[in-house]
Amino acid sequence: MAGSIDFEWRRVPFEDGDTVASAVHRTGVRTWNRSLKYHRRRGLYCLTGDCSNCLVNVDGEPGRRACVTEAIEGARVRRETGSPGPEWDVLAITDRMHWLMPVGFYYKAFIRPRWAWEFAERMIRRATGVGRLPTDGRFEPKRARTTHCDVLVVGGGVAGLAAAIAAAQVGERTLLADEGALGWSLSAPALQARIEELSAEARAQPNVEILQGHSCIGLYEGPSAALVGPHGLVEVEAGRVIVATGAVEAHGVFPGNDLPGVWLGRGAARMAVRHGVAPGNRAVIVGEGPEVQDHADALRDAGAEVSLVAGRVVSANGRRRVTGVTVETADGRRSFACDALVLALGHSPRDALLRMASGLPVGGAGDVVLPGCTPEEAEASGRRAGAGEPDAPSYPVSWPAMEPDGYVCICEDVGVHELEVSWDEGWTSSEILKRYTTATMGPCQGALCGRHLAFFAESKGAPPAATGLTTARPPVRAPKLEDLVGGVHEVIHKRTALHERHVSAGARMDRSGAWQRPGTYGDRREGYLAVRERVSLMDVSTLAKFLVAGRDAAALIDRVFPTRVRDLAPGRARYLLALDEAGYVMDDGLLSALPDGRYYLTSTSGGADRMEAWLRNWSDRLDLSVHVVNQTAQLGAINVAGPHARDLLVSLSGDDLSREAIGHPGHADVTVAGVACRAIAVGFVGETSFELHHPRSRSVELWDALLEAGHAWDIRPHGLDALDLLRLEKGHIYLAQDTMPDDHPGKLGLSWAVEASKPWFVGKASLERMAALPLQRRLLGLEFDRAPQRGAPLSVDGRIVGRVTSCGTSEVLGRHIGLGWVRCVDGVFPETLNAGALTARVAPTPFYDPEGVRLRA
Amino acid sequence: MSLLVPCPHCGERPYTEFTFGGELRPIEADGPEADFAQVYLRENAAGPQAERWYHEAGCKRWLTLTRDTVTNTIER
Repeated sequence: MAGSIDFEWRRVPFEDGDTVASAVHRTGVRTWNRSLKYHRRRGLYCLTGDCSNCLVNVDGEPGRRACVTEAIEGARVRRETGSPGPEWDVLAITDRMHWLMPVGFYYKAFIRPRWAWEFAERMIRRATGVGRLPTDGRFEPKRARTTHCDVLVVGGGVAGLAAAIAAAQVGERTLLADEGALGWSLSAPALQARIEELSAEARAQPNVEILQGHSCIGLYEGPSAALVGPHGLVEVEAGRVIVATGAVEAHGVFPGNDLPGVWLGRGAARMAVRHGVAPGNRAVIVGEGPEVQDHADALRDAGAEVSLVAGRVVSANGRRRVTGVTVETADGRRSFACDALVLALGHSPRDALLRMASGLPVGGAGDVVLPGCTPEEAEASGRRAGAGEPDAPSYPVSWPAMEPDGYVCICEDVGVHELEVSWDEGWTSSEILKRYTTATMGPCQGALCGRHLAFFAESKGAPPAATGLTTARPPVRAPKLEDLVGGVHEVIHKRTALHERHVSAGARMDRSGAWQRPGTYGDRREGYLAVRERVSLMDVSTLAKFLVAGRDAAALIDRVFPTRVRDLAPGRARYLLALDEAGYVMDDGLLSALPDGRYYLTSTSGGADRMEAWLRNWSDRLDLSVHVVNQTAQLGAINVAGPHARDLLVSLSGDDLSREAIGHPGHADVTVAGVACRAIAVGFVGETSFELHHPRSRSVELWDALLEAGHAWDIRPHGLDALDLLRLEKGHIYLAQDTMPDDHPGKLGLSWAVEASKPWFVGKASLERMAALPLQRRLLGLEFDRAPQRGAPLSVDGRIVGRVTSCGTSEVLGRHIGLGWVRCVDGVFPETLNAGALTARVAPTPFYDPEGVRLRA
Repeated sequence: MSLLVPCPHCGERPYTEFTFGGELRPIEADGPEADFAQVYLRENAAGPQAERWYHEAGCKRWLTLTRDTVTNTIER
């Protein structure tokens, strides 16, 4: 549809089917960019979405290729390089100062003085010819999806369509992806008609799906392919892949090859045929082959005066744009005046996808394996590939047409001269030249210049191992970061049923794994003192909770955990360690025996999924008949703790909550404030406490009733901050904070929780093996003379022998306490250590109420 | 088709729904040497390998299957 775009605050009309490039070119704009390093003028060149010359900012998005961006009504298009712009650029002076930025200058310049680099880097970054990222924080989250097919065809030209049809005809589910609309890159009208016929035939197949506007950026093991489309990333799991990405017209390397007005043949022809605009008024086409005459006709139809020349381009002449060309012809060296130089030097396969897929069921079809083939040959090649017999690539690896000067890599401004200098400096292989000069590392990813680089190394006489194409890696087309993070960066927030209660009570919510948990309700000390002196609540709904039932429930628990299980009577509970096969502590929790041989198991909040997988794996491996029900999300839990905890519950319950009725540790089913609860008497914080496990739907009601009734004891809830100090006073560890991945129970002082006499449990053999080794490292209680910092190194005579993993200042004890790792020094564990300027003494744990009198009250 | 895992409960599902559980190894080790090998040494086979998969985003069942680590094909 016709309309107009806003090109640098100018209204530029466009016709039906125009791209941004064709619409703007029609107005006479020839300089589209300033180059990365030397700020040379660059104009439209490949017109197939390969080179970086036409990158512009469209509607605030930098780095869009104008040649493949459809002109849309009202689009705001801005050129983005040059100071102040590409037409007139003060930094063009750098083109006269190549000595200031020699090849590899990052490794050579501004090394000393060191402070100079900071300024230089800032200047260099500002001076480079690239677009600016929007900084307004706009971010459109994209989705990722996965799809499956038998055959994925990448590229919707004649070869790709023929391949898709052939594959579909043998009954395979076929997906065809093209980065534009089908046939978008073609120039010849006859070819366009054939594409329409083939696409109609493909669409008529019930098992062909066509994805337009999807670029394949990489192929991976599987084979799987990553496509970037308008709605984000599409991961395709395919049985096999056919690459039909065609060929890019060969890049020419000669002095002046990067001047605006130098075009690749197919691009120039496409501009003329599809948009009716010639690259210039006087065009010289250099090249041979069947396509050249078509190109000449197309340009003439668009109104250009055309000369066809066979020969080798020696140089393109001109300062701001091409004004002439010198060609070595059969009749000697001749010069021609022109304002467009069109190169038809041959074809270079766009084969990066094929090369990165070696060893996978991935084949090629058409130009990518037979560069320069006729449309009929491409179609036949596609049919063979579709039927499962793809053609092997047949073309030389290097490109043998380079003059001794000119730009090899136009994206990164690397000329033949730079390659020569690097070679002389000793970077004598194509891979190393690539890394040192950054040639092939720009937006085209070597599509244009990869073979020239290989040719250069070969012409220098490098051994075969040091020549050839550099390794192809994803992405072959530039994706946006928002495409790549699609489906990956999905932050999960889990909330307990009491979330709103915490927030309205003014809690600071902390992220704890996936859970949102209250850190403090304003004053950590209030919650802490409520636990120690009166009564307090904590939302512990995040605990991992499992019901383990079935004929072999006891057998599973007995064999998976090192805990003594057989004598655990219904109504009793026991501390539980989970060891992995290496005998290292993986998790810990509490095991409650229920009637009828069932068990209720609670473990660390963050480890619920791992614990579930662990239990199910062992149940399956040991061939036991067990049901594992993960009740983590189904049940809420509130811990009621403090000297008056029992008084508070008694005020809300008619059930017997006495010491005799609920042992320690033990549990009973009771009703509190009308809510059926499993009350577990457990002592993580070191006071009388009951975890009330209940249906999540009743959490708010229960919480409110407890707070209401707790007024009598000036109740306060506590959060993670208070809990950290409360458990530390009891010497209880936090898994992962206080432990390391290779801690067996002995190192943590938890050997008492292992029943070594059991015939078998997971990790038993490893524990026995390690028992023969001397203990090198232990987690010990520490007391400091002043408040220490977590993570502080512990040293003896200046030698670091450990570190502080937890610490705090206990108000009720009036001591600075902590836990920390201590290494064995000369056969003994030191008793006194330095923590920086502080002195640390090893102290017995628990620090608070070591006899557990308060706990059992 | 690549990497569809045959779950005995849910049928063929994409591998992304599963958690890889590593090589299938014996449960018990006879003596400290064998235990060390069982815990720390892997065959790392290039070819068919019996291994454990957990249908974490599905039925939460574990299964043992044989996968060729070179071709990524799963025997059914």
